[in-house]
Amino acid sequence: MTKNHNLCRRRRIYACCLFFLSLSLTLSAQDLLVSGQVTDGQLPISGANVIIKNTNMGVVSDFDGRYTITAKPTDSLQISYLGYTTLTIPIHNRSTINIIMYEDATALGEVQINAGYYTTTDREKTGSIARITAKDIEGLPIVSPLEALQGRMAGVEVEQSSGIAGLAPSIRIRGTNSLRNDGNYPLFIVNGVPLNSEPLNSVGQLTSLSGLDPLSTIDPNNIESIEVLKDADATAIYGSRGANGVVLITTKKRRSMDKKTSLSINILSGVSEVANKVKLLNTPQYISMRKKAFENDGATPTQATAPDLMLWDQNQYTDWQEVLFGGTALMKNINIGLSGGNEYTSYLIGGSYHNQGSVFPDNFNYNKLTANFNLNHRSKDDKFLLDLSVNYGVDDNSLFFGNNFVNSALTTPPNAPAIYKEDGSLNWDNWVGNNPLAVLEQPQDIKTDNLLANMGLSYKILKGLNLKANLGYSKLNSEEQIRFFKEANRPSRWDYIKLNAIQSQTYRQSWIAEPQITYDMVEGKVEINTLVGATFQDNKNSYFAVEGSGYADKSLMGNLGAADDVRVLTDDNIHYRYSALFGRFGLNIDKKYFLNITGRRDGSSRFGPDKRFSNFWALGGAWIFSKEKVIREHISFLSFGKLRGSYGTTGSDQIGDYGYLDAYETTDGPGGLYPTQLFNPDYSWEINKKLETAIQLGFLKDRINLEVSWYKNSSSNQLVGYPLPAITGFTSVQANLPALVQNTGWEVQLSSINFTNRDFSWQTTLNMTFPDNKLVAFDNIDQTSYTNRYKVGYPLNIRKLYQYDGIDPETGFYRVVDINEDGRYNNDDRVVIKNMGRQYYGGVSNHFQYKGLSLQFLFEYIKQNNLGYIFSATPPGFLGNKPVEFLYAWKNPGDSEHIQKVSQSFSALVSSSNASNSSISIEDASFLRLKNISLSYQLPQDILEKLKLTSAKVFVSAQNLLTITKYGGLDPQGGSRAVPPLRTITCGIQVNL
Amino acid sequence: MKYKYIILISLYLLHTSCEDFVSVEVPDYKIISETVFSNDITANSAVVGIYNELFKADFSNGNFRSVTMLAGLSGDNLRTTALNYAMIEFGENEILNTNSYNLDLWSSAYKIIYMCNAVLDGLQMSEGVTTKMKDKLMAEARFVRAFVYFYLVNLYGDVPLIQTTDYRVNALASRNTTPEVYELIIDDLKSAVAVLDINFDNGERLRANKFTAMALLARTYLFVEDWENAETFSNQVIDSSDNYTLLENLNEVFLVNSKESIWQLSPAGRGALSFITNEARIFILTSPPPNSQQPVALSSEIIESYDNEDLRLKHWIGKFDTENQAFYYPFKYKNNSQGIITEYNMVMRLAEQYLIRAEARAQLGKLTESIVDLDKIRKRANLQLISDSAPDIGKEALLDSISKERNRELFSEWGHRWLDLKRTGIATEVLSNKKSSWQDTDLLYPIPEDEINKNPNLTQNNGY
Repeated sequence: MTKNHNLCRRRRIYACCLFFLSLSLTLSAQDLLVSGQVTDGQLPISGANVIIKNTNMGVVSDFDGRYTITAKPTDSLQISYLGYTTLTIPIHNRSTINIIMYEDATALGEVQINAGYYTTTDREKTGSIARITAKDIEGLPIVSPLEALQGRMAGVEVEQSSGIAGLAPSIRIRGTNSLRNDGNYPLFIVNGVPLNSEPLNSVGQLTSLSGLDPLSTIDPNNIESIEVLKDADATAIYGSRGANGVVLITTKKRRSMDKKTSLSINILSGVSEVANKVKLLNTPQYISMRKKAFENDGATPTQATAPDLMLWDQNQYTDWQEVLFGGTALMKNINIGLSGGNEYTSYLIGGSYHNQGSVFPDNFNYNKLTANFNLNHRSKDDKFLLDLSVNYGVDDNSLFFGNNFVNSALTTPPNAPAIYKEDGSLNWDNWVGNNPLAVLEQPQDIKTDNLLANMGLSYKILKGLNLKANLGYSKLNSEEQIRFFKEANRPSRWDYIKLNAIQSQTYRQSWIAEPQITYDMVEGKVEINTLVGATFQDNKNSYFAVEGSGYADKSLMGNLGAADDVRVLTDDNIHYRYSALFGRFGLNIDKKYFLNITGRRDGSSRFGPDKRFSNFWALGGAWIFSKEKVIREHISFLSFGKLRGSYGTTGSDQIGDYGYLDAYETTDGPGGLYPTQLFNPDYSWEINKKLETAIQLGFLKDRINLEVSWYKNSSSNQLVGYPLPAITGFTSVQANLPALVQNTGWEVQLSSINFTNRDFSWQTTLNMTFPDNKLVAFDNIDQTSYTNRYKVGYPLNIRKLYQYDGIDPETGFYRVVDINEDGRYNNDDRVVIKNMGRQYYGGVSNHFQYKGLSLQFLFEYIKQNNLGYIFSATPPGFLGNKPVEFLYAWKNPGDSEHIQKVSQSFSALVSSSNASNSSISIEDASFLRLKNISLSYQLPQDILEKLKLTSAKVFVSAQNLLTITKYGGLDPQGGSRAVPPLRTITCGIQVNL
Repeated sequence: MKYKYIILISLYLLHTSCEDFVSVEVPDYKIISETVFSNDITANSAVVGIYNELFKADFSNGNFRSVTMLAGLSGDNLRTTALNYAMIEFGENEILNTNSYNLDLWSSAYKIIYMCNAVLDGLQMSEGVTTKMKDKLMAEARFVRAFVYFYLVNLYGDVPLIQTTDYRVNALASRNTTPEVYELIIDDLKSAVAVLDINFDNGERLRANKFTAMALLARTYLFVEDWENAETFSNQVIDSSDNYTLLENLNEVFLVNSKESIWQLSPAGRGALSFITNEARIFILTSPPPNSQQPVALSSEIIESYDNEDLRLKHWIGKFDTENQAFYYPFKYKNNSQGIITEYNMVMRLAEQYLIRAEARAQLGKLTESIVDLDKIRKRANLQLISDSAPDIGKEALLDSISKERNRELFSEWGHRWLDLKRTGIATEVLSNKKSSWQDTDLLYPIPEDEINKNPNLTQNNGY
């Protein structure tokens, strides 16, 4: 029955597709031969691309700047040349068009911006779209493409807080919308194919928290552009998946239209190390603190309570930061691209290799190999277009199973025993618990391969009427293996240990088919662009983990055939299906008044049968007021002026699959079943309403461009794993919550050409974001389990804290206020509220160019709080090394010190634990960071000719070179317990043949 | 115009196909509740699941966060020998309301209660399961539920009584009084006694039968000081000598399906590669303290409470010598190496029933009969019999002897000592000398702060 049903369903889909194809009837049109000359006002420009807008058809201007092209009278020509502003000129039935190009002074040009299903320009856009291009990304020593966005976009927060390659960075576009941590991923679209943005599962302790980056197998150097869609107008066409914004990644295509085959080679190599270390006690300071602690408490140290005083060498000193994360990591990156073709067909084929070491002891490596292929073809009659992209990447990450070494580095006593014995084996004598390097005997290897293929087909049926299809396929396979060698344990336990290994596999496969029809027309001053399409998407995700035990020897580990016992830990197979109808209606009058209407009806298998479908829509408009005569005549310094605004709804289905099923799964023990979740069949779509208004201004012939936007996003009907007390049997249930989260904010983007002449130029771009996140409403919050985490009227990312009351003059311990004087400290006493989110942030980038020499630097600034460094350590006197600040601990009544009395007593721990949840524990962790600085030199033409090169560039750059902050811990962003971002210095060469 | 129609029709087709497209089937790793309770086999699996999960649940698995460990530390049997603050808090009777072990103990207990309630709910509505099977499975679920509540009420005092799976109601449940909790425990156990038969399932002592329920009922009556009923039910278990006997060889008591066991949990519950009990893993010292894998040792008080000839000292207590001192550890479970399962985690055994009956009889004034029961245990331990040394012993002295014998016999099993100190009212007297910061409010553990934060109707115990 079901099978039959499926068959019917498929037939209907085929029928739909057939229908679209059957529209591809032969139709004719009147072509026009257009010719002209491209100049810079004086001299001809040779090699400029002249393309028919929205197609891949084009020619290249010859030595005299002359061109000839066949086009429809209603087409527009798009003319581009490196270093000059791209122009779009409607043909309007003319057969001769001479073109004057201006040097590209600003980013605000006529550059085509990818808006997903259609393209627009910065001038004409009705929505909020931010963009970075290859020139911002190339040469950055990054693994995840998202890292390139750091500091470069308003409204986009990207954090890579681990310092470990291959982990998923966190990304938030215009703040946190969902109360669920995993409900805030934006939608990733790579060449039109949606990619599951959820990080990959991993068992390892280093990797499980953030998960593995699903984008890691894309080579950042192969990216042409990354667009981030932010407001309703831009995202509503993605409907249910647009609530948290959309990240569009487009990989490189062949740019030039000439017939010459060209080869580009980029080579990059660099070194990294941890950018910051903290000051800890040395051995004499540490020993005296510990002794003082026992003395103050009137206690006698024993081997159990004080191995550091009773068992260990009192003079030994080890700088554990140096030992555990003081290494130098080497990095290499090579990227090669070959492109060629003729006027109908072009191709780009490329590959890359990236290798990166780690700052940890031992040789941990991250390796990545990628290959990419792009093919563009148009038929001779220009009716049929094909664009095929295939990206394939393999990465291989070797790590270890254990926490990162930071905690060990900061807390291991300075006189702890040696790591290794003289014979090179791990030393276990006198170590309490584990030798910190024992985790190296638990290697974790992760291998991922990812194929992304996309084909865009387009057929022109009639003038203005196009039939398109976007077909995509992606396959990701990630295998992880963790081997637990017996050497990770003390030798006395070896006899009790069976060798075991855990292997897991994540498999994601998806296909997408999106048939579309577009219709464009121009009638006098009115231009209309319409689009209707449908999406069918099918995702299969599986996760399989198995543990083998009883291997006879290390070398056999991982081969399940050699294991005595095999236990399946997880075998999950998830099927997710998604379908939608969407459309867009774009209208402009005289390129002055713009209207954009988008809508989508979405269905997702993640909801119960009655709640699957929902509608989303948006309305956007823009008015280029600088085109009004009155403005043009009276405000001459204003070269461009636009007001735009949008309002609409988007949704989110980012919840686990099958949450609506009341289901059991098998227990780990034999023959049993158990309920794994509380179920709720009635939850439905989260609704996110977005409002935006913005003004875009250009001054002094667009030398200064300013864009200021204000947005308000309201997320209601919050879909959450609603936290429950454990007495319900579980700690959460999937439900829609009567809560409203609002993100409002101001975004400012400014770009300016401060100076320019023939040889020298100086440009500055700046972005600032002032976000404001607020839980606006939450009925009866005090009746729910959220009352501890959130407070109405405050941001989501807060901490509720006790009021700190200084150091008790009698006991010398920290004191916090028992607000209601009931003799206990609990949620009712947590009256101090601190915002832990970003208060404002931005980036400033400067670009100086003198002839071939170019200097760029980017500063990132973030105003925020973080958990103080002092309170991430156990209190003064306890076992484990401490910050040097602890030397200034309270000693006698009347002391004004800020650190409590040195003690190893239980009450010291209690008071410190209370203080660490009080107002004093939060520090200002704002920082200004020189995120990137790079100096490059473009070889001059005469040398290039001698070397027979088209272009060549050498460069040196540094990441995270400098951080200015008051924060005392390792890193203001990652806090005191994460590997701080690495300081990386790279140099490289780019050559085009 | 023709195109318009084609477009409209195709949109309609697309739309209807979208509707069908997004319905997906139940995945192969899940089975919906309705199906579970549609036949005997899967319904039985749901109950097997409860027993499996008991070996994984923190409160019952014998590991760091179990009743055995934490209540063992709260009493005077175990002491910490490594720096583990969560455990030290239990050992010092200074538990913070944020102690994560305490939260795990509590949460895991309620998770098992949810499973029991889910089986009860599922079976009540089921039509496909045979009546006989349905009655048996429901009785077992009620037995396990009573068992969990027994520990909750003893560790935390008043606790919320959760008897359904409706989280909307349960999330806001407030605490029921201790008598109300005992009422449910007794009610559940009585119905289990009435329904369950006397057979062992597949010859294994891993599932509750009539005597298992009786044994727990006897213990419950002892705790609520209903001496007659405590005697009646322990009597019935002891009389079933075909099934249960005191084993002469102390080294055989904790073995798989030993004849002394009334109920055991199998390490298989943790998964296929699990062969040893957690007690064997965490008690038997394999390297000198401080050592984070085996962070506790036996206290000197318990060691000193044994006569030298006591066989339990010889067989059930291990010794680890270091240069400076000797550490003693519980050695009831002996298999701490992998291989095959040779020991099950003992939940209830016959020796306790003798001690229950001895105590109930002493309280009822049946001193002679009480001495007979107590001597059963003493004889096996190679101790002088009370009937020989003090046949005329008075009631109070006899009760005192029984209390001491319970400690020597049941140490390091399921927190018996801590529960006994509390119920007999001598905790403060015994512990205030040994624990520096002892307060009367330490008799109850704190309700985890996390729980109070999530449920405004939950109140905290005094002193926290």
